[in-house]
Amino acid sequence: MTDRILTTRMDAHPADSNVLARYEATGGYAALRTALASKTPEEIAAEVKASNIRGRGGANFPAGVKWGFLPPETRPRYLVVNGDESEPGTFKDRQLLERDPHQLVEGIALSAYALDVRQAFVYIRGEYPRPARRLQRAIDEAYEAGYLGTGILGSGFDLDITVHLGGGAYICGEETALLNSLEGRRGEPRIKPPFPAVEGLYAKPTIVNNVETLSNVPFMINQGGAAYDAIGPEGARGTRLFSLSGHVRNPGNKEIVMGMTWRDLIYGLGGGIPEDRAIKAWIPGGASAPWLLPEHLDEPVTIDDVGRLKTMLGSGAVVVMDETTCVVKAAHRIVRFFAHESCGQCTPCREGGSWLERMLARIESGDGRMMDLDLLLDVSDNISPGLTWPPKMTTICPLGPSATAPVTSIMWHFRNEVEAHITGGGCPL
Amino acid sequence: MSDEATPGMVKITIDGREMQVPAGDLLIAAAEKAGTYIPRFCWHSRMKPVGLCRMCLVEVEGPRGTMLTTSCTMQVNDGMVVHTESDVVKKAQEGVLEFLLINHPLDCPVCDKGGECPLQDQTVSFGPGESRFVEEKRHFEKPIPISDLVLLDRERCILCARCTRFSEEISGDPLIEFVERGSGTQVLTFPDEPFASYFSGNTVQICPVGALTATAYRFRARPWDLQAAESTCPHCSVGCRISVQSSQNQVLRFQGVDVDSTNQGWLCDKGRFGFEYLNSPDRLSTPKMAGDDGLQEASWIDALDAAASGLMSIIDEHGPGAVAGIGGARGTNEEAYAFGKFLRSVVGTGHLDAQIGDGLEPRLLAAPADRGLIGDLEKASSILVWGPDLKEELPVLYLRVRRAATELGAKLVVAHPRRTGLDDVATHTLRYRPGAGQDLLRRLAAGEGDAGAALAALKEGPTVVITGLAGLTEGPDLAEAVAAFGRDLPDATVLPVARRSNVFGALDMGVSPALLPGRASAVDDGARATLSGHWGADVPDGSGRDTAGIIEGLEAGAIRAVVLLGADPAVDFPDPARASAALAGAELIVAIDMFESVSTSMATVVFPALGFTETEGTVTNLEGRVQKVSRLLPGPGGARPSWEILEDVATRMGGSIGATSAGVIATEIEKVAPAYAGATWDALNTAFGRDGIVVPTADATQPIEYVPVDRPSAPVQRDLVLHLARVLYDGGTTVQRGLSLAKLAAEPAVYITPQDAHRLGVADGSAVRLSGGNGSAELTARFDDSLTPGAVYLPFNLGISVGSGLEVELEALA
Amino acid sequence: MTWSQKTDERAQAIIARYPDPRSATMPLLYLAMHEDGHLTEDGMREVAARVGLTPAQVQSVASFYTMYKRDRTGRYLVSVCTSISCMLLGADDVLAAVSEETGVADGDTDEDGLFSVEHAECIGACGGAPAVQVNYELVEGVTPEQGKALCAWLREARPEVVLGDEMQELFGGQRSFEWGPSETAGAVGPFPAFEPYGTAKEGR
Ligand SMILES: Cc1cc2nc3c(=O)[nH]c(=O)nc-3n(C[C@H](O)[C@H](O)[C@H](O)COP(=O)(O)O)c2cc1C
Ligand code: SF4
Ligand code: FES
Repeated sequence: MTDRILTTRMDAHPADSNVLARYEATGGYAALRTALASKTPEEIAAEVKASNIRGRGGANFPAGVKWGFLPPETRPRYLVVNGDESEPGTFKDRQLLERDPHQLVEGIALSAYALDVRQAFVYIRGEYPRPARRLQRAIDEAYEAGYLGTGILGSGFDLDITVHLGGGAYICGEETALLNSLEGRRGEPRIKPPFPAVEGLYAKPTIVNNVETLSNVPFMINQGGAAYDAIGPEGARGTRLFSLSGHVRNPGNKEIVMGMTWRDLIYGLGGGIPEDRAIKAWIPGGASAPWLLPEHLDEPVTIDDVGRLKTMLGSGAVVVMDETTCVVKAAHRIVRFFAHESCGQCTPCREGGSWLERMLARIESGDGRMMDLDLLLDVSDNISPGLTWPPKMTTICPLGPSATAPVTSIMWHFRNEVEAHITGGGCPL
Repeated sequence: MSDEATPGMVKITIDGREMQVPAGDLLIAAAEKAGTYIPRFCWHSRMKPVGLCRMCLVEVEGPRGTMLTTSCTMQVNDGMVVHTESDVVKKAQEGVLEFLLINHPLDCPVCDKGGECPLQDQTVSFGPGESRFVEEKRHFEKPIPISDLVLLDRERCILCARCTRFSEEISGDPLIEFVERGSGTQVLTFPDEPFASYFSGNTVQICPVGALTATAYRFRARPWDLQAAESTCPHCSVGCRISVQSSQNQVLRFQGVDVDSTNQGWLCDKGRFGFEYLNSPDRLSTPKMAGDDGLQEASWIDALDAAASGLMSIIDEHGPGAVAGIGGARGTNEEAYAFGKFLRSVVGTGHLDAQIGDGLEPRLLAAPADRGLIGDLEKASSILVWGPDLKEELPVLYLRVRRAATELGAKLVVAHPRRTGLDDVATHTLRYRPGAGQDLLRRLAAGEGDAGAALAALKEGPTVVITGLAGLTEGPDLAEAVAAFGRDLPDATVLPVARRSNVFGALDMGVSPALLPGRASAVDDGARATLSGHWGADVPDGSGRDTAGIIEGLEAGAIRAVVLLGADPAVDFPDPARASAALAGAELIVAIDMFESVSTSMATVVFPALGFTETEGTVTNLEGRVQKVSRLLPGPGGARPSWEILEDVATRMGGSIGATSAGVIATEIEKVAPAYAGATWDALNTAFGRDGIVVPTADATQPIEYVPVDRPSAPVQRDLVLHLARVLYDGGTTVQRGLSLAKLAAEPAVYITPQDAHRLGVADGSAVRLSGGNGSAELTARFDDSLTPGAVYLPFNLGISVGSGLEVELEALA
Repeated sequence: MTWSQKTDERAQAIIARYPDPRSATMPLLYLAMHEDGHLTEDGMREVAARVGLTPAQVQSVASFYTMYKRDRTGRYLVSVCTSISCMLLGADDVLAAVSEETGVADGDTDEDGLFSVEHAECIGACGGAPAVQVNYELVEGVTPEQGKALCAWLREARPEVVLGDEMQELFGGQRSFEWGPSETAGAVGPFPAFEPYGTAKEGR
């Protein structure tokens, strides 16, 4: 059983895993050749469906199911690759773009073929010029070699890929905000439905998939969707890149088969906490995710198990906080992020996010009032009614409720420490 | 209630009450119709829902429990169960309100919106009592002018995006936009690019708080001090419904009223802010008579005697055919009717016209075959606009056409000598050189060349053909031919347009040599006999002169006296200099007006008239829709209703027009003009009559013979022809006597294509001399690459005239 | 003001890549910054004219994003990530050190237009925290001392092209992952170095 899919080439060939010659020499574009020579688009789509891969952008939605939502008749259709990766703690797509861009290009070409798409866009966050350059060079090479453009590999299939840089806005990772941004608008999420598969870019049917999701497609065609589906536990098939950061000895992206425990991930692959300090909490799936606690270390890392603990794997960003961490400061930093990144359309996110941020700042600096404790939760409740999991929302998109995750995390698990900031006029640590 | 829903309806349950609502409605609208008001800020029924204020959250039951959702973005579907008052909903709405208020300045006591502010109202009914927010509020520079008409207070703004959406989606001039993001988001213009939109006032009206205010209204009154009456806008022939609001005998503002048939709530800024002239200190308040030093104040008795005796002596000496009347297109139908009756039955002349030489064949306007309605635009697959630039002359009709093209998917073909406001949203734009319109029409009818695609689009019915005078140097033939072309399309209605507010009503009332009241033909002996039976007086035959004919008659000495009713031909005739000279030669001019004008300055007697908001009556819009205008104010001291003045002159001439009140005249109109039989004041005063009553065209007694499509264009000798057309903000009375709009009139200039300019050695912005059929003028030249080469464009109504001849010359000045 | 012929050609090529010219707004905003050093009003007008929007619409789009700098911006834009992962590993001290060395406060630009300093939200380098970008070219694993040294070097060496590899070599530490072969293209101003937008140059 293969336990790595995405990172084998880059690890084996650090000097040139990104260039075409190396990619071809290690089996690259074989899947595309096979597909164009002997497979129908439907067959390719069927492999992806059979793989049961769930999207790696954060929402964990099954890719095959999403592809099936395209209305059969309408053309043109577009494929948009989400490389906006801005969720604090996440840096996996960056590695895939920089180190194995052809894997993504081939994944895009296969997917476009399966979806009858002629034009694909890769939206890369503006702060990623280097990944964008690497990808652009790979695309240029692919055009040159006939893997892109008109009449690809002598078939009747045409495809253009355009790399589009963002302008610095996390919200553009949300797929409909991304589409607005790609259309030259403010990155404001759209009301759903209609979903992009029905009415997306330029109001045409559009599939939006994450960089990592599509980077897996060549494997699925080479080895078959069933082979992918055979990896990992049910509901969490395939391998997955986790971005490990914070207080760990060996930070970095870890490609794992899901199902291992958090302890395996943080203490095994991550090498534990520097100076063997105690772990205080960790964020299991990006800044939007409620935190997990030491008592959860032996829980399995799967989408469903984490959901059971009322949080999520999200974008696969694991941020570890050790005993020296001030939770108020940490929560403030995360809420500040969401307040800064709110698009500002919805009243609760725009006003509530910055209100929470300012309250936390006051508490952190010792100017908190006891009533702020309940107020923090009540304001959060007005953004995410009931403070349930999965979150309910009074907003258009989940960014607003995301800002409440760190607040509930500290209020429910570290209330004493928050209170001590108020009673002691500052951080007790 | 039966179990089956009525077709087109679905059954939903709101707060335990089951009800039927129209399928496809948004929940917020359906609930409101059914009596449940869901609070909202961003949603506006005439704009696309965006669901961003989040105030209208409700709970909807679904397979996985109840879901909190915005009712403004949710379409009703059968069996939907909705809760608008549950604890979750209440908490969410209160939460939203609190969020909106944390940064709001709460300066209600000094806010124009105080008293009619949804934010204030909802704070009272839903809002939290005490502020839990102790942080510093957001601060912005207090109101900043974003145009000459509108001020923006960003601290009050709740970011509902109504204004930005209006300007982008409805009016098509996205000059105010959100800037920044998150909690720094604000509404703003671009530096040095003000919100110069003909429709900016609508944003003030739809702003749910006091963030956008109008300079014309700011601090003038509190909403609870206002008296209001619904009426019809007096500025153009679209006939937008308005609410006239006044305080202490001053008109303070006009607000758009949402009726489906005409304006759907919107107004243009000329309509909205053009009320200021009514309060002008220049209003005539006493009669005046010509003396040695020009016009002198006179008593009513002296003035009436002078007018009557002057008219009688001219009739005695030269016959009634030496008297003519011009005007009536700016007042009510009742006034126009009185004017026509006075001229035809008391004076005995057939020389009368409500158009001022700038319009179309009267029967084309009054009773075109296959006449369309503005509402037809909603169903149209294609639209042809071949006439004036609607944005300049009939602005709200422009909005309706724009909506049809952008939101409703109609294909739009625009034919005009230069770029019009609609070109941006047109599927096909056709340009032609003034004078050569017939050639283009022939090509369009034959589908030749680039006109082929446009013809194909127009063959997709239903089609609405809007036709009128594209420019004043062209005769009315072209518009007639376009109407004829429209009639030949497979499934088309025709909407001929002219600008002046009640020109359609005045023509319907018979203020035209060709028409008798009720659109009967003046050359029809039977119709004349019937009318003469009603009036008990002879009705002159149909050979009378129109305005151009009257000017000619004055020049030739055949006409010696002119009665003017709210008309200023010395300015408004397409060749003003010629009209001016002709009027100067008249022996007698009797003018009834609200203001002195160039024409009244040449008058023998001037009577001060009551005007809009001061008289009651009806008006008829460009569709033939009769609507009510209301009286709210007394008007200046000495002014009287026009019909009363005419009656008093008539009495002194030994006759009568039977005008004892506007209501009495209205009753007579119903009798004399059968088409108007259904449009009674009583009917119009009902809720149903709010949309007006479209007068049937069926009794057009003599269908017009359309000018054929294939008439050749007139040959042109010179290199340059003139396009002469109106702009919205002009040099006219209503604009110039109002403080807000007067400064918006553009500097006059002549527009020329860069190619022609190059050939003539003219630079952009340089001085040139334009010489035409009647005079020449020094002007600034401006480049305009949207013009057809060989044409220059001169805005007609900015005070510069070289006559209305087609051919002109232009030379560079050193 | 109008754009250079080269920029103009690039703009046309970019517009041609999209089904709707409006989509070229963001790339063209980078071109405008490349022309003027930051995003000027004229630059926004120029973009508006090319993509068929009003300047107000372009301003609305530009101001939504943090990377379109509408104020005067230094030749070197030093962005210190202070989001959660970098904060946990001492990013606040790095920011303080950078401000001290450059004399430029967070959010400011110096008199000479050499440095702009800002704190940034997560720049996707959490495995190499604390991370810094200079003109969006990345350096990972930066201590406060290295942060100072980096700024001192920028002031002295005044590199025409800012290269991530070079800075990482000289001032970096822990990386998120191995970077692979070194890059020879880098930034020529405070905007991302991406060839199709004409903002990258081959360096030393
Ligand atoms: C606030 C927010 C930010 C997001 N950011 C990203 C992102 O940076 N990258 C990403 O791929 N998906 C992101 N997503 C998820 C996308 O909306 C979308 O689900 C995803 O791109 C679909 O691709 P996938 O199905 O392959 O995961 C974000 C969602 C939200 C609500
Ligand atoms: S929740 Fe926040 S980010 Fe999402 S649409 Fe609303 S305001 Fe924008
Ligand atoms: S009225 Fe529905 S969200 Fe604003």
